[in-house]
Amino acid sequence: MGTGLGLGVGIAALGVGIGLGLIGNGALQGMARQPEAIGKLQTAMLIALAFVELVFLLTVFVAPFLIH
Amino acid sequence: MDAFQLIGPSILASADALSAKEPTIWGLAAYIVFVLLILFALMVYAKKGLGVRVFKNPVTSLFEQLYLFIENMCVGSIGQHGRKYIPMMMTFWMMIFVGNIVGLLFPFTPTADLSFNLGMALIAVCYVQYEGMQVNGVFGHLRHFAGPKLPGAMVIISGLIFTIEIISELMKNVSLSLRLYGNIHGGHLAVEAMNNLGNKIYLPIGVLVLLLIKLLTCLVQALIFTMLTCVYLSLVTHHEEDSSDGGHGEAAGAH
Repeated sequence: MGTGLGLGVGIAALGVGIGLGLIGNGALQGMARQPEAIGKLQTAMLIALAFVELVFLLTVFVAPFLIH
Repeated sequence: MDAFQLIGPSILASADALSAKEPTIWGLAAYIVFVLLILFALMVYAKKGLGVRVFKNPVTSLFEQLYLFIENMCVGSIGQHGRKYIPMMMTFWMMIFVGNIVGLLFPFTPTADLSFNLGMALIAVCYVQYEGMQVNGVFGHLRHFAGPKLPGAMVIISGLIFTIEIISELMKNVSLSLRLYGNIHGGHLAVEAMNNLGNKIYLPIGVLVLLLIKLLTCLVQALIFTMLTCVYLSLVTHHEEDSSDGGHGEAAGAH
């Protein structure tokens, strides 16, 4: 049971890591191409980061309840 | 497995804490006296006048920078009428940031407790609804939930959209509070685990390595909570300004 949980959270962390990396990649490319838009891009990037991060947090908080 | 056993009960830990040590009336009285003393000291300090002594103060300029930062955020995401929400956003930012910073130095902090975060998220979401009703009127605000106007028998779809919008509005509470709680509490757990890792060599690895990252997390989480509240506010209150902007845009395009 515990092994499955650990594996599941690991997979969730993998997916969220890929998502965060993609967001950072896109934002950095946009910033490099258009340095004058850095302020707006940072705002949008942080919001997107928050939403992706929430998925992992939900996974972590829901998973312990599923084993009972 | 140990980490999950830690996380699982700690979501419900606030109920245990309440039953374990009941708050007494004397604790509350002492707290109120403390707050009143601070307020009194601040008023005495302010009554002496705001002269060069205050405006040349580095602390003052620090807070001016903070004010400019919050003002940029409000005006940038809500628009010109967002200036009115600066005090609210400032309160949120300061409260969350101070709570997070306390968490760096002490094992317990308000923002690592789900009930505090849920209360703050409730305040934020209810304030957003209130502002929406102030700007659009009660029925205008409710109509906002039903999506675009659809003809004839498509009313059913409007009802579906309305239901989904209400659910998503309720989930904003959960997402705001759980994000903050998860980040701060998870940071505590990670530091604890890394400290256990370095137990054998008598070196608090977690504190040494993770403290700076946690400082960044503190800043970013305060920023994200405030910014998301700003975005929700802008979604609710942007109606009339947006239509006038669109009109100008169309006029410019026609020329």
